[in-house]
Amino acid sequence: MVQFNLNGKAVTLDVEPEMPLLWAIREEIGLRGTKFGCGIGMCGACTVHLNGNPVRSCSLPVSAAEAQEIQTIESLGTRESPHPIQSAWIEQQVPQCGYCQSGMQMAAAAFIAANPNPSDDDIDNAISNICRCGTYDRIRAAIRQAAQEIG
Amino acid sequence: MGVTRRAFLITGATLGGGLALAVGGVGAHIGLHNRLKHQRSGESESSAAGSLINLWVRIAPDNTVTVLVPHSDMGQGSQTGLAQIVADELDARWDQVRIALAPPETAFANGKPMQGFVSDAVAIPDWADGFAEKAFFRLADLMNMQMTGGSTAVRFTGWDHMRQAAAVARDMLLRASAAEFNVSESELSVADGVVSHAASGRTLRFGELVGAASELGPRDVAVKSPSEHRLIGSSLPREDIPRKVFAEEHYAIDADVPDMHYAAVRHAGVFGATVSRINNENEIRARRGVTDIVFVQNGVAVVADNPWRAEQAAKALDISTAHHANQAMSSASLEQAQRDALADTAEEASATGDVVTAFADASHTVTAEYLAPYLAHATMEPMNATVWRDGGKLHVVCGVQNPLMARAHVANIAGLDFEDVVLDARPMGGGFGRRVAFSMNDAVPLNWLTDAVQIALTQDRPIKMVWSREEDTRNSVYRPMVLAQFEAGLDNTGAPVAWRSTSFLAEADVRAVQPAYRIANQSIRFAGEHQGVPTGFWRSVEHSQHGFFKESFIDEVAVAAGADPLAYRLSLLDEHSSEAVVLRKAADMASWRYGADSDGRAMGCAVVHSFGSTVAQIAEVSLQNGLPRVHRVWCAVDSGVVINPQAARAQVEGAVHYALSAVLYGKCDIQDGGVVQSNFHDYRMITLRDAPTVEVELLTSDNSIGGFGEIGVPPLAPAVCNAFAVLGERTRRLPLIA
Ligand code: FES
Ligand code: FES
Repeated sequence: MVQFNLNGKAVTLDVEPEMPLLWAIREEIGLRGTKFGCGIGMCGACTVHLNGNPVRSCSLPVSAAEAQEIQTIESLGTRESPHPIQSAWIEQQVPQCGYCQSGMQMAAAAFIAANPNPSDDDIDNAISNICRCGTYDRIRAAIRQAAQEIG
Repeated sequence: MGVTRRAFLITGATLGGGLALAVGGVGAHIGLHNRLKHQRSGESESSAAGSLINLWVRIAPDNTVTVLVPHSDMGQGSQTGLAQIVADELDARWDQVRIALAPPETAFANGKPMQGFVSDAVAIPDWADGFAEKAFFRLADLMNMQMTGGSTAVRFTGWDHMRQAAAVARDMLLRASAAEFNVSESELSVADGVVSHAASGRTLRFGELVGAASELGPRDVAVKSPSEHRLIGSSLPREDIPRKVFAEEHYAIDADVPDMHYAAVRHAGVFGATVSRINNENEIRARRGVTDIVFVQNGVAVVADNPWRAEQAAKALDISTAHHANQAMSSASLEQAQRDALADTAEEASATGDVVTAFADASHTVTAEYLAPYLAHATMEPMNATVWRDGGKLHVVCGVQNPLMARAHVANIAGLDFEDVVLDARPMGGGFGRRVAFSMNDAVPLNWLTDAVQIALTQDRPIKMVWSREEDTRNSVYRPMVLAQFEAGLDNTGAPVAWRSTSFLAEADVRAVQPAYRIANQSIRFAGEHQGVPTGFWRSVEHSQHGFFKESFIDEVAVAAGADPLAYRLSLLDEHSSEAVVLRKAADMASWRYGADSDGRAMGCAVVHSFGSTVAQIAEVSLQNGLPRVHRVWCAVDSGVVINPQAARAQVEGAVHYALSAVLYGKCDIQDGGVVQSNFHDYRMITLRDAPTVEVELLTSDNSIGGFGEIGVPPLAPAVCNAFAVLGERTRRLPLIA
């Protein structure tokens, strides 16, 4: 049995301790905003927060979440009360296919929380998520905008 | 042909009293009756023969205008663009417009009526010319309005068809209003979804007019002139973006069907081969959660109660691959075969002037050989599908660029009637040509759907099959590897007088291969046939390889002539040509300079016309610790018309980044009949760190409307490689970082 806190709610799962958190969240719990892209920690589509830090859930055994706080894109913000990253994402019209964007936004949200005044170099070095549609320019602009808003 | 012969009116009970406009014509393959029924009930039913109509615009009594969009979304924003076209032509208010995806309904296999439509109604578009006769079926599908790809959505569906339907609808509303007010039409004006009679101050909303309007017949009306456009040309926010930001978009991989199990596949590893034996079947069946093992066309699938358990079990399979002739295939053997073909079997596809004499008279010759490698698409969402039986129907959730063809493919694999397949085409986590249902050879791009259907047919419960990234990379339909040899003859002033190219694979349209420049004597030659590696369409298709070849080679010729490559290009172009206009614009934007800067940066340029648009790019690069780095890319685009500038710009920005992954890192090596690379560690993609800033300028012109999805790809490789050549490294084989 693994127990952790997911988006503010306690969850208990009867799964192998080595099952990656990604699959526990997506298919055991059924929250599918977190995406699968590579399964080897290279693309970041599966990024969630572990106690506020961005982690790649495809490469994190669910046992590592035991008694921890996990947050997924579903808890980042809502249409009524968007996270600054989400407002900036809309304003800059970032997504194309959108598939990488929940992981991208989770990485960006954790990043600006820790770096309220980032340079482009800081952004480039901190966020190594892959976007195959190539929305990188707009991601930079949106992160700068959101950082300004919270900073 | 006039609008009225193609416009059909649908009124009354079928639509709850609304007014709907449909325009038949090329690609008008959708059974209207069927579609309406489907919309009401969610059920499908076969269409009556001959009722081939596309339904585009529906105006309801509640004042909503619904635009039925036949293209699935893969991130291009064309849904918004199409709605803009309709709202503008109709003079509707933007916020009264709704966008709905048309269901994948039938009549698609109906080649004959389609053929009739194609030959009599519309000229074959330029870009399809080259292979039109070769394969009518494919042309039909390219023209098919449910194709997402080839940059067709806005150009053909929108500009040619929806715009007319909207104009006809507006005219009917206007006439209905004139009758109601008992005034002449010329006294009325239409704006924001309201018809007004200024003299009396009376107004009627569209919704109030649909009943009367639907009693009228459609007539031929002219569409607006560009100066009358209000929404066309404005950067309205894309309707899909909030869904994508708030994780409300449901991709195929997010399918959630009660009771479903999961399948993971392990393929034979050799193109075309089957798995002959599983050497540890008992061990695999004993694993936690595993419920079955199933053979599929070229592999084995494990079914389990959780996707990770299925995937782990599939990875643990110990399989033997049946012998297959492709086993001997390697990149080296394939390249050698191409080189031999170029030497032995080249045939001229087009010729201008007299190259033989021109070469003999030339004072100087330049030669070069280029190679573009195989590439997988690597869509962010790996190939997947969810399939289940319910009663006599087979349900499929998937992301495909041609839903109708996918539905036919599933029916075929399952041995069912077309009508017994219910296909739910979801927004795609990237397409780039991977999810197109056909190829130019016998490769089957929908191979993952074949797997999913074969697995599901053996199971009593719904199956969600997801290919691992490794299987996705190794079982694609690749951009073809192409070897190309070039030769140019220069006169004593350095001007090119002869140009000869010989390239592998005759699938390319010859116009994609011809240089844009004034060169009196040219010979374009092709050699060889499709090889054993399955190949398909990869964003911008043959332009991606041939843009690289021809725009690299003209640069080499310019250097041999001792000229600034940009000025050299301009000297060989008509100054009013699209190519010259966008080149000059890009040069302005970048403050073009030729030669390495003191800080080690250099620029390179290229210009390519594809999919109806012309794009010039200038790349600024440097070497940092010996590694190539692209800092900035400037793009100038002539697409004739621009519907939504910011969405269009996004496509070009994205294409630059997509192409840059390929230029820097992209290649799929072949060894022992399969692909070596497997995941993002060895099939690398750029991230923010590699991503240049991209500036895009959109030029409008009198040229007919061009596409946006693909056009930013072709110039990038040559622009980048031409820039590195200034720094002393001429790259003739991609990628840069091997
Ligand atoms: S899916 Fe986790 S990093 Fe790619
Ligand atoms: S928006 Fe498509 S992968 Fe990033």
